[in-house]
Amino acid sequence: MPDWREEVQKRLSRLNLAPAHEAEIVEELAQHLDDVYQRSLRGGATEAEAKRAALQELATDDLLQKEMRRSQTTYKESPVAGGPTNSNFFADLLHDLRYAARLQRKNPGFTIVAVIALALGIGANTAIFSVVNTVLLRPLPYKDPERLVMVWEDASRHGYPRDTPAAANFVDWRDQSQVFEGMAAIADTSFNLTGSGDPERLEGRRVSANMFPLLGVDPQLGRVFTAAEDQPGAQRVVLLSYALWQRRFGGDPAIVGKSLTLNGESYVVVGVMPARFQFPSSDDQAWVPIALTQQEAGNRGRHYLQVLARLKPGVSLVQAQSEMSTIATRLQQQYPEQNAELGAVVQPLHEHLVGDIKPALLVLLGAVGLVLLIACANVANLLLARAAVRQKEIAVRVALGARRWRLIRQFLTESVLLSTLGGLVGLAIAYGGLVVLKTFIPENISQAREISIDLKVLGFTFLVSVLTGLIFGLAPAVQAVRFNQIETLKEGGRNAATGGGGKRLRSLLVTAEVAISLVLLIGAGLLINSFLRLRNVDPGFRADNLLTMKIVLPKPKYEEFERRTAFYTDLIGRVQSLAGVRSVAVTTNLPLYRQGNSISISIEGRPAPPPGQELIVVTRIVSPGYFDTMSIPLLRGRQLSTQDTETTPNVVVISETMARRFWPGEDAVGKRIAAGRVRTPEDWIQVVGVVKDVRQFELNAEPKPQMYLSYRQAGFFEPRDLVVKTDVDPASMAATVRKAVWEIDKDQPVSNIQTMEEILADSIARQRFSMLLLAIFAVVALVLAAVGIYGVMSYSVAQRTREIGIRMALGAQTGAVLKLAVGYGMKLVIAGIVIGLIAAFTLTRVMSTLLFGVTATDPTTFTLISLLLIAVAALASYIPARRATRVNAIIALRYE
Amino acid sequence: MPYKLSQMLDRELKKGSAELLILSLVEDQPRHGYDIGNLIEQRSKGRLRFNVASLYPLLYRLERRGWIQGRWVEKSGQRRRRYYRLTAEGKKVLAAQRHSWQEFVEAINRITGIEHA
Repeated sequence: MPDWREEVQKRLSRLNLAPAHEAEIVEELAQHLDDVYQRSLRGGATEAEAKRAALQELATDDLLQKEMRRSQTTYKESPVAGGPTNSNFFADLLHDLRYAARLQRKNPGFTIVAVIALALGIGANTAIFSVVNTVLLRPLPYKDPERLVMVWEDASRHGYPRDTPAAANFVDWRDQSQVFEGMAAIADTSFNLTGSGDPERLEGRRVSANMFPLLGVDPQLGRVFTAAEDQPGAQRVVLLSYALWQRRFGGDPAIVGKSLTLNGESYVVVGVMPARFQFPSSDDQAWVPIALTQQEAGNRGRHYLQVLARLKPGVSLVQAQSEMSTIATRLQQQYPEQNAELGAVVQPLHEHLVGDIKPALLVLLGAVGLVLLIACANVANLLLARAAVRQKEIAVRVALGARRWRLIRQFLTESVLLSTLGGLVGLAIAYGGLVVLKTFIPENISQAREISIDLKVLGFTFLVSVLTGLIFGLAPAVQAVRFNQIETLKEGGRNAATGGGGKRLRSLLVTAEVAISLVLLIGAGLLINSFLRLRNVDPGFRADNLLTMKIVLPKPKYEEFERRTAFYTDLIGRVQSLAGVRSVAVTTNLPLYRQGNSISISIEGRPAPPPGQELIVVTRIVSPGYFDTMSIPLLRGRQLSTQDTETTPNVVVISETMARRFWPGEDAVGKRIAAGRVRTPEDWIQVVGVVKDVRQFELNAEPKPQMYLSYRQAGFFEPRDLVVKTDVDPASMAATVRKAVWEIDKDQPVSNIQTMEEILADSIARQRFSMLLLAIFAVVALVLAAVGIYGVMSYSVAQRTREIGIRMALGAQTGAVLKLAVGYGMKLVIAGIVIGLIAAFTLTRVMSTLLFGVTATDPTTFTLISLLLIAVAALASYIPARRATRVNAIIALRYE
Repeated sequence: MPYKLSQMLDRELKKGSAELLILSLVEDQPRHGYDIGNLIEQRSKGRLRFNVASLYPLLYRLERRGWIQGRWVEKSGQRRRRYYRLTAEGKKVLAAQRHSWQEFVEAINRITGIEHA
């Protein structure tokens, strides 16, 4: 039977119809011709006559051409074949889109793989960007927040470049500076709230009355403090946080004017702050006026304030810094003893609030950017492979007169459609990811709760999607239209994408993928390495089976040293007798809580150090059982004992670092020191023992000199943490221990009930967060890269099936053929690794602040990760190669 | 009928009434192109004939105007075929065209004086 399709096609070829439409017409007309042919045969005609009759139907009546053209040119179904005359940008775009959508529906497998790869990349970017957006980019919720600054003391001499100012310095700064609209002081405090319900401990702040106007925040109910209330002796007033108001007072609308009992004193509620107000931190539940007394305001020795200030309009940070430096220099001369080498630093408030997390977030943002690049490379590879399959279609279009730019646009429309789909799915991934992410975000990142996908994030995702589409679409698009038409149209002709250019491009993409994933993996490797080292740091104590809780004795009630001591002694005795308790102790500060006291000491027989070079020692006031409870090993001498009392000579236990630093080459035991200056001989304290160093502040900070004094001998700081070593699960003891506290004082709040292991975990939560995320992204990158290598290798091996078949037929050993195929893949991988190593060498430096115990160019990490990647890559190229060698030579030869 | 005349009539009819013929044929039921061409030939006792080159462009034009709609239909054991059916719009057009054709024929008849006995 004649090929009617061919006959019809021949006659339609000059019409430049859209291929899909043309195919329909060809089918319909060919059927008609076949019907005519069959009828003629049935009517007794010979085959030749029947064929002639059928073809007569197509008699070149010019009507065919004319009508077809008329009915088609306005149709513009064809997205790519249209000539220059009928190009209309938006109409074309719409048609391109429709065509692209049809194409995707026709290849669901391809579309799904590409969309998943892109969605992973775009989703990760969206999630991390929304964190960056909330934490770094969103302006603080205060009036003109860019003019708000923190002012610190610069005590770099003692290792504190941003130290909390002393009150007297704050007063001088405030009175002498001209660059600020106002300056407010903030001091930590806490309250024991008693009265209705269980006694409760509240974190709060003493603040200058002008802090609220400086921030530009109004209360939700009532008013803020007046200047008169910010004076010593004024009526006691308090502002409540929204959360406290809701939780404790049921959102009582008439709360303003009511009284409540804080630390045993009556305070009048003057207002309630709005829900989103959390300054200086999200823990704060109540604010009272700071009302500095004469004595406080003259103290230059206690550094405990935070100072907020607002720049006058038009004043730059540099100007403010310069003026504050001048004032600080003047104060150094004025108070050479206390203010020696003490500067002043102005820091934008935003930097103060987010400074710590910024490097980690930027590294993560960079990392997800790299993941997206790998996803792009993968999809570009897929598109290249598909472009190779579509060579014929393109050749036909070019032959029909489609311009190349038009074809490129069609390709780009397809890739952008893909990436937009990826973006949509990515948004869903980001949304789900954020829910999970939020649970991992350390609580001390204050804006964590507000992280959400807002318009800015949506805009970002859209932009990234479109850009992604353009990036990964461009290469295949350009590649696809740069080929030899004639070759392609020839049956069996090797087309461009399988030959030189396409192969080069795909190889390049694989090399790039390997390089990028190496950078990511090395980054993650460095962080994991840091984290493991951090976890393996000996904190100096054993955290297992330790229950801790905060018991802060309120001031008027426990003003006297004797009353406090009696309470602690009673408490220790009661808890010690509980079943399941091995030992118990109190301390001023638990390790790794990021706070605590330090004092300067004098050493017997040595001259007082010159100002600015004081001997600063981290000081803990503890009960004698502390070392046993915390399992802090004793190195020399003895521990504190219950025999050391108010009536016996004062004793101190010091850390090995303190012993080494202050008495190098000597035995510290028996030496005498004093806290501050020696006024009477009773001020001397004898060193009776040396214990191992404890990481008091952070695991990743080298221990400073430390000393421990007995709570019965030293009263300048008050113990506030109870720590209990248990034989059973420590958390299960919490209620029993709390009951023991309440047996002594039913109004005494107990808070922060935690196991020591939780405190330990919290102290490295931020590092764990960065490490986990980067590790996840690196694994995604590794998987994507492996898939990419596998894909390219499969394709390349498939192309060479015939060659491999011939080799095998001629007697080549399987091993030799494998070596050939894997060798090709490994060449690309090694190239990628070399490039990646160079890139990583430069890039990982940006993470140096996130690392602990490893350098940014740690050779072990670099080597191990490279080997890992080589192994994965080798496997990814081995599998397709192995398949190729199993091919039957005959089949291989018949392959084409 | 002499060949020349037949061809001329053919053209005139196509121009004036081909649309009406096709619309009428798909009024009751959807039909495919070969069926339509066949029916025209049979019912006109061979006097009217559309070959592929003229029938299909016409169908496509009507379809593009929205008067008829083609759809691929697959019946078991057969090749799929494109069936054309009359659209709502097409129905109106058909009614209007029928009406004016009737008027036209009556007018011609009146002028040429052909009377029915």
